[in-house]
Amino acid sequence: MITVENLPEKLMEELQPHIAFTIPLLEGIAVPQSIAVTWLIMLILVIPSMAVTRHLKTVPTGAQNYAELVVGFINGFVKGTVGQEWRVFAPFLGTLALYLSLANTISIFGFKPPTKDLNVTTALSIMSITAVIAASIRFKGLKGWLKHFSEPLPFILPMNILELFIRPLSLCMRLFGNILGSFIIMELIYQVIPLALPAILSIYFDIFDGLIQMAVFVFLTTLYIKEAIE
Amino acid sequence: MGIAIAAAIAVFTGIGAGIGIGMATSKAVESVARQPEAANDINKALLLGSALAEATAIYGLVIAILIILFFR
Repeated sequence: MITVENLPEKLMEELQPHIAFTIPLLEGIAVPQSIAVTWLIMLILVIPSMAVTRHLKTVPTGAQNYAELVVGFINGFVKGTVGQEWRVFAPFLGTLALYLSLANTISIFGFKPPTKDLNVTTALSIMSITAVIAASIRFKGLKGWLKHFSEPLPFILPMNILELFIRPLSLCMRLFGNILGSFIIMELIYQVIPLALPAILSIYFDIFDGLIQMAVFVFLTTLYIKEAIE
Repeated sequence: MGIAIAAAIAVFTGIGAGIGIGMATSKAVESVARQPEAANDINKALLLGSALAEATAIYGLVIAILIILFFR
């Protein structure tokens, strides 16, 4: 439990990656909690997806309807933002959205959200900036990508190079800070009023905030990609 | 005690984010009321602006946490 006296220790403890279990291979591979929860999320996502897309029909029935609804929504969003070349990016952005929406809200089932681990959000933001750079090189060529650094004016070059690092940094810090912040606030509220009120507030802090952050992360990545390929 | 005050001052960045997001939202509501057919575009711009404005508040939180951790 977090109290005012042991706040620094507890904060430090929350920032360390917890070891969930150790695989008894070689010298023992330690599996952090965030990885274990990520595997669980993968199970939740992959098995139903495979079950639903097993026997696809032209006229969808049952579960296929819901799957098409989700995929259609993601495709429509990417199409609306990126434009013509949406087909290449929709799978990546859709996976990101599905993973993040589960990862941010999994705390309502009592698991530690993996996005509370700075390593996870760093990996995610590096992934998105890599996708942005790759998209830029793919659609503008290496030369076009290098040239865009000196646009619109040559002396803005250092700013454009800095942007390459600031974008992933702010993506990763935004996600991490939001999830950690809401986690700390919820812990403090449990401490002060352990009855009824946390249930109401957890709807905001655990579900609403997590989904908003998912939308922001995916939307910013989409926007960067759009900017990179035009 | 001093550390707690320092961390509290760092969290004052939230004021700017609050004012910024409030202004952005009020303008967005106004423009949706005036032009309901442009609601989709306005929503996107609002989301982006809010995310960028809110980043300052998050940096304040991160710095407050760092102050608590490294100056105890």
